[in-house]
Amino acid sequence: MRLLTAALLLPLAALLIYVSADLPDRGDPDAPANLHLSPELVEVTERDIEIPNIVTAVLADVRGYDTLGETLVVFTAGLAVLLVLMRGARPRDRGRSNER
Amino acid sequence: MTEQHDSIILNFIVRVLLVPFIFVFGIYVLVHGEASPGGGFQAGAIVAAGLVLARLTVGSEHGERRISTRVLLWLASAGIGIYVLAGIVPLLAGANYLDYAALPVEWFNAVAGHERTNRAMGIFIVEVGIFIGVFSVLVILYDHLTERFTDD
Repeated sequence: MRLLTAALLLPLAALLIYVSADLPDRGDPDAPANLHLSPELVEVTERDIEIPNIVTAVLADVRGYDTLGETLVVFTAGLAVLLVLMRGARPRDRGRSNER
Repeated sequence: MTEQHDSIILNFIVRVLLVPFIFVFGIYVLVHGEASPGGGFQAGAIVAAGLVLARLTVGSEHGERRISTRVLLWLASAGIGIYVLAGIVPLLAGANYLDYAALPVEWFNAVAGHERTNRAMGIFIVEVGIFIGVFSVLVILYDHLTERFTDD
């Protein structure tokens, strides 16, 4: 089993290392990731929003709907954990069950 | 359940030096989210960490239940509500959902004496909503995770 795992993983590692040689340099302005959408986001931030932090502009404005969903995820997760933790509490204790 | 520690050194360092600093730093991270790294999520986590530190030190009897779970749940919902409202109000003005440019906040420029775009102020409004929501959820989690250990 271990031999099989190694036989599968080693070629994969070799492939990934081989491919990584073709990746663009870090911070390369001509990299594909920097050519498609980034210039537009920088431009929109400077022109329409006028705040220095482009990350915040993208997070809260350009992708505001996404961030609304993230906040809802945090809220829902909190509610779910609260429901699980309060499962044993008697109904009249709920909300003040921290008293002994 | 956490108990109160009698060490005056611990009490002084945490309650006089650390906790106020953490609160102020959290608010700083929130307010400067537009200019530097930070924002609602980070600020909520920092301020909640400060509150948890205070509760760990002064003990549950003094530190906890200053804000009840009921109030915290309302706060968390209000945080989400601020965000959703910032989305719905532009709809009433005929713009898209979450289009902060249509928020009626131009008057604030005159009050505060600065020149910020509506979208920048919309970002700040939703960051405050995120901050309130994340802070409340984290404090709720801490309260109920520590309380279980007394019952068992």
